[in-house]
Order: sequence, then C-alpha cells, then structure tokens
Amino acid sequence: MREMREHFRKLRGGTIFSSLRVVLLWVLFALLWSAGTTDGTTFRRLSLGELATAAEAVVRVRCLSRESRWEGGEIWTLTQFEVVENLKGNVPRLLAVRTLGGRVGHVQSFVEGAPAFRAGEEVFLFLVSRRPDSFGVLGWAQGTFRIRADASTGGERVTQDSAGLAAANPNAGKLPRKGIRNLPVEEFRRKVAEAAELSGRP
Amino acid sequence: MEKMMRITTSRMRNTGKWKKLCVVPTALLFLCAGLAPCGARGYAFNYIVADMRQPVSVSGGSACPVPAHFLTSAASINRRWSTALNTNPVSVLTVDQTAAGRLNEIEAVIQSSFATWAGVSGASLTGSSLGPLGRSGAQNACAADGVNSICFDQSDAAFTPGVLAFTRVMVADRIGETLGAATSSEVGQILDADIELNPGDPQATFATPAALPNAPSAYDLESILTHELGHFLGFSHSAVWPAMMYPFAPSPGTFTGDRPTSQAPDAPLSNDDRTGLRALYPDPSDTVNVGTISGRILAANPLSLPSAPAGVTGLFGAYVVAMDANSGEVLAGVLGGWTCSGAGPAQFDGGFRLTHLPVGTGRSYKIYAEPLNGTVDPSQVSNATATLCRNALTDPGWPAPSACVVPGVTTNLMARVRPGP
Repeated sequence: MREMREHFRKLRGGTIFSSLRVVLLWVLFALLWSAGTTDGTTFRRLSLGELATAAEAVVRVRCLSRESRWEGGEIWTLTQFEVVENLKGNVPRLLAVRTLGGRVGHVQSFVEGAPAFRAGEEVFLFLVSRRPDSFGVLGWAQGTFRIRADASTGGERVTQDSAGLAAANPNAGKLPRKGIRNLPVEEFRRKVAEAAELSGRP
Repeated sequence: MEKMMRITTSRMRNTGKWKKLCVVPTALLFLCAGLAPCGARGYAFNYIVADMRQPVSVSGGSACPVPAHFLTSAASINRRWSTALNTNPVSVLTVDQTAAGRLNEIEAVIQSSFATWAGVSGASLTGSSLGPLGRSGAQNACAADGVNSICFDQSDAAFTPGVLAFTRVMVADRIGETLGAATSSEVGQILDADIELNPGDPQATFATPAALPNAPSAYDLESILTHELGHFLGFSHSAVWPAMMYPFAPSPGTFTGDRPTSQAPDAPLSNDDRTGLRALYPDPSDTVNVGTISGRILAANPLSLPSAPAGVTGLFGAYVVAMDANSGEVLAGVLGGWTCSGAGPAQFDGGFRLTHLPVGTGRSYKIYAEPLNGTVDPSQVSNATATLCRNALTDPGWPAPSACVVPGVTTNLMARVRPGP
C-alpha cells in the first residue's frame, strides 16, 4: 500500500500533468485540423454540404416504433417516424426508414454503421428514397445526427453518429479528421439550408 | 448531474507468473471530463443473449451476453468469394489485366487479409480454422445461406453514397438454429457472415496493393477487406486510432498499418485489434497474453444512480482503457459497467474486465476511464449495449429470473481513483 501511495503521489506530481499536457496538445491539434474529406473503410466521408446536396430530404423526426423482419433473404428493420421539422424535400408527416440488421426469431443480424433508433428519440436524418414504402439514410451513420440538450445554454446541439474521434496516440504522427459534433442546432439548420439552396441553383 | 467515478478494485490478476515477471500494476485514471479528444474506446464485440424460454439443452442455461463468434475447429469457417466483378466502371483495379490473372490477384488479397487475422499469436483462431476459399460465379452470392461470402458486384438496396463496404453477420441465440447450410452448436455462433463492397459508387474504386501505387484515388482493397473481416469475425468498431477496426480507413492511395509479411502476417493490425482477437478467440495454451485488470466504476453518491431500472449499483457505459505505460499505446479498452456469471442475467454493477493483456518484464499499464459524452456517442455503441438484456417487453414470455433492462449510459462524470487493497 505504501508503494501504491508513493506511486500515486508521484503521478499527481508529474506524470498525470505531463499526460494532460500531451492531451491538451492533441486537443489543440484536433481543433486546428479542419473537418474534411477523410475516407473510410466502411464509409467514404461525406461533408455536411455533400450530405445536404445528395439527400432528397432532410428532416427532424421523432421515432415512433420499429420492427424487424425478413425481406429478400435479409433482416431489415423498419422504423416509423413522425416528421417534426422539414429542412429539405417533401415528405409525408409519417414516414418509414429501412435499415439493415435487427433480430427476427432466433437470428440476430449485426451490421456496423447502420443506425438504430429508440422510440421517443428525435434525430435529424438525411434521407434517400430506395423503395416506394420507405427511405434509406444517406451514408448510414453519417446521415444520422443525434440531438442533445445543452445544459449550459438551454439550447440543443447535434452530433453525427460517425463523428467519434480516435485516441490521442502520442506515438502517432497525426490525428484523424472528424465529423460534426456538438454543433448548435441553429447553426446546423443554417448550414443545411445554405447547402440545400446551393444545390438547388442551376 | 456530474457523478464521481472511482475504480475500487483495479488489480492485475496474478496468473501464476505475474510477480515472477515483475509486472508493475499501475492504476491511473485520466481525468477526461470536458476533454473530449482524450477519449478512446478499444475493441468491442456484438453481444447476444440466449433465448431463455427454450430448454436448457437449447439455451445453454445462461442469460449472460455472449459475443458473436465462429467456432475455430479445423476448417470450421467456410469461405467463398464471388468472381463477378463490375466492369463498367472497373471497381477493383489490378496490375494483371488478364481475366484469370485478375481473379488470382484479387484472391491473393483476400487470402492475405484472412491470414492477417489468423496470424495473431495467442488466439485459437488460426489458419487451420479456415476452410478452403472457394469461388462462385454468382453475382449475388452474398445471402443468408450459411455460406460466408465476399461480393464485389452485388447490387444491394442498403448501399447509399458514402457507404464503401459493409459486413452483415447473422448470429444464433440458441443451439440448433439453422440458417441455410449452417447449424449452431453454441449460442452466439455466427451462422453467416457476408462482406459486400459497393459497386455502384463512382467515387469508390478499390485497388490491390500491387495496383495501388499507380491508383492514388483508389482505396486499398487489402485494408478494406481486413477491416471488414474484423466484423466478419465478430468485432464491432474501435475508436483507437490507427486500429484496423477504426471505422474510417486511410485516405485513397494509402493503407492501414504495415503490409503483412511472411514473418509478420498480422502487421496491419494494432495491439488493440490483437488483444480483441485474443479475448474473442482465447487460446488456452497462451502463456504470454494472460494479464487481467478488473474493477468497478462506482458513483461516489449512490443516490445519483438512476432509480430505474432497478438493481443498478454502478455506472454503466464508461470506457475503461489500458495503455502501455511506457509507449502510451492503447492495448485494450472495454465498455465498462456490467458483469455476468453463472445463469445470469447481466448485472449493472459498474464492473469492467480487461483481459488477455501481455505480461513480461518491464510491462506496466495505465488505465483510464471516460464517459461516453466525449468521443463516442452512446448511439455508436448501441449494438454493444442494446443486446445485453432481454425481458418480457422485448420477448413475450421471457422468464423473470433471466430478465434485465439495460440502463441509460452515464454520459457525464468526473473521475478519481481509489486504489484497491
């Protein structure tokens, strides 16, 4: 125990602060590194502008229910949403989104990167029509933006499902780029509107 | 509301050689609250709970979550790939332009990507676990048929722009479940895993390692396949960069890690990938990667824990990461907050367990924990959390003793360490 206490005393005195300095340096790097077009194994990174341009509809929706079923030899999950706000495109007030994966009977189908939704939650989705009865989410996790209340401001912020950062690896030469995180919802709306307007010009 | 987190029993389990090997356990908690980019999450698996409504002979008798996995006995993992390739435009670039040579070059990349995972020491998954790699001329060979397939030109309604490739893994929740040619003999057994590369995205061209130097705008086929094969084997995504299971691959014209060699077939992988594979496919004869760090993440004020669901005694959803104290490299990270033993179900007691860490002279580790309000949104790990429990609401007729409810993840906390005894 004495050795342990001594060890922690040393850590408090030096190592942890050195580590935090390293972390803060990485934070600085991360802030300076602009979000861009890093591409991915599963995903090819789409910027917000690309998403807004390519999407047929951009909506804020509330999840009502979901159901998984076999169709065409695959397990699909059909999630029912109510449209709360429409930023682009014409969609019905109630719509369905189809994503790969889910559980039916005794088989669970896992598909990484396919978004899943809980009843009651609200998200912004960039939608593309794939079938007459349902939409797909453009870029899967990339076209899914979760909405969070910001306790400090009382406002709302959005974070892209695919926006996770990597570890601050002190041995690595650089940080990977990132997606959109904690963007105030008003700014998100403005950026989407700008991109949608640009894409609509001849 | 901020919570205090403490690791109460962090320890290195003495596996018999621990003291002899002079490993110094170092429990250090980095204070990550508010410092989003310091976050990392290591390897993760997709879990499934057995159908406890079935007889014990079918359910296995435990409601503990089981990671999706293959059996690893000789030639137990069947494999084939579809030789149907998109030609307009060409989606897979090769150096050899002859029809046969092109297929051989692509097949060599597939074999190399499998060998990368099978080449990890200390895992029961080896080259002998893999069946022969067959070929299929069918364009749509990737189906839920019990045959594990790789397809380069399958039109799938799931593809949208921005999705380069995906892997779909189908897992049984009971013994004896049949899917096409496969029948489960264990709960959690993967019955079918298929990899599809997007043939319809004009910005998604793939190149073999030989062709990549002259195709700077193409994606490295070997990196793509090796990543997808991680999913194929049961991995979820890792946020450790540059782990192979990090969800975003290198930019076009580059590749992940080092190229594999005969001496180092697993060179493209990071240690996070290797530790994950050892945890998923443990080798009982391994004597090197036998270190375990376990503990609990508790709230300083138990009243701050969620009142519902009942029975939550620790924080759920913090990532606990083990770093090599000397190099700073992340060796493993797990989603902490639960334990399970015996007949289960999962207990949300704040428990975590980092296993299969390498031991040896001079090895020491730092651990830290972070909430999911930093680098990883809870939605990104929903596969790894949503399937930890089943109950009468998710499954009518579910027996109460085997039921649990996954609590909400704790996303806002400050951390401090209380050393173990």
